[in-house]
Amino acid sequence: MKTHKLFECPSHTWLMFGRDDEKPEAIIDTNQYMVVTKNNSLLMDPGGIELFSAMLAAVIKQVPANKITHLFASHQDPDIISSLGLWDQALPSATLHSPWLWESFIRHFGMNNINYSAIPDEGNTLKLDGVSLEFIPAHYLHSSGNFNVYDPEAKILMSGDIGAAMEPVDAPLFVEDFDEHAKKMRMFHQRWMPSNEAKNDWVRRVRKLDVEMMCPQHGRIFKGDDVKRFLDWFENLEVGVLNKG
Amino acid sequence: MTDLSQNYFVSVAEIAAKLDQATTIAQKLSLTASNARAVALRAGERAAGFRPLTDFIDRLAEITISSSKKINQMAATLSQTSAEKVRADGAIKHFNSVYKIANESPYIDSLDEVYERCKSEQDRLEKTYRRQIEQLSEELETLSSELRNAVILATLSRVEASQAGSQYQDALINVADNVEGAAGKIKNHIKYSQQMVSTLEEY
Ligand SMILES: [Fe+2]
Ligand SMILES: [Fe+2]
Repeated sequence: MKTHKLFECPSHTWLMFGRDDEKPEAIIDTNQYMVVTKNNSLLMDPGGIELFSAMLAAVIKQVPANKITHLFASHQDPDIISSLGLWDQALPSATLHSPWLWESFIRHFGMNNINYSAIPDEGNTLKLDGVSLEFIPAHYLHSSGNFNVYDPEAKILMSGDIGAAMEPVDAPLFVEDFDEHAKKMRMFHQRWMPSNEAKNDWVRRVRKLDVEMMCPQHGRIFKGDDVKRFLDWFENLEVGVLNKG
Repeated sequence: MTDLSQNYFVSVAEIAAKLDQATTIAQKLSLTASNARAVALRAGERAAGFRPLTDFIDRLAEITISSSKKINQMAATLSQTSAEKVRADGAIKHFNSVYKIANESPYIDSLDEVYERCKSEQDRLEKTYRRQIEQLSEELETLSSELRNAVILATLSRVEASQAGSQYQDALINVADNVEGAAGKIKNHIKYSQQMVSTLEEY
């Protein structure tokens, strides 16, 4: 599991974990993100059960265990949060922020100790040591209850499955040639994203945000103009299409 | 006899299933008792000695049903405990590998508190698990000894049946056979369960 620092300022740091060359072949490679503030941390889409040991080991190199106070699951998928049962044993006093829609489903992953903070459909804001992290609605992209995390100060949008691409584990961290990269995203978005209406509404809202980096849960990070290129590409893409890639 | 499972919480579920079958057999035994009572009534004076035996058959059926239910409940609780134990064992295994991967981490000590807490939870579950197995084992033993009475009951039933006259003899001997057969089947289930429990004790 590799760790990259994406952003740093006096109040907080953004870290990305991923490109795990030790993960079993058959599971999809995922990017995990963490915001570290003075006394707290928010671990976003902490990943599957298969990844838990590698993730905890990577995280504990950055912060002590008792500083991982908050978890976020953008939606209910196993690659997002099937590790919950183990985080529940490791961090019994942590809070999990996740869509209200999925609470009774996500609890199936095993949650005896962690506190579930249900995000309402319209989203809300988490304040960690004065740092604002906004949970932005991204419903039906792809999950019917789904959120992104936006940090207006770092100008980072953690976009979950939006912007995802299936890539080899040694792929570069950032998008280098957008048109080349778009080929790898096409099938994923057409097949997994069910609603053009939801997609276009999301594009309209995200255009109003100041986004310097868009960080998906699979594949590469979009930087600067590539964020805008992605929004244009996504807007023009017809989704909810049954294809085999 | 099917092979004993290697996985302990599957074994627990199998015990519950076996005892469920025992309950079904005991319910049939209870039917046998009321049939026997009807036959004995028709046989009149000559089967007077048989009538109190039907009460004993009834009592045996009742004890078996209530004890099977109790064992079933115990197996369900044990199954819950063993599932929790599997989770705790799994977590400990994961933490051990984190210690290995992240041993040079500046915050590795912060894991000690987490580890200690999970370890003591694991110990608690281990103790609960042992205690529950012991209770289950005792209850199985109790039911097993109750069933020993079934053999005596069947023998006495045969003796009384021979006094009842040729018209009713076959029906009453049939009752005795049923009691013996049912008790034998239940005993086999219990024996199997006891073997399962003894494999659980090895964990
Ligand atoms: Fe997903
Ligand atoms: Fe995903």
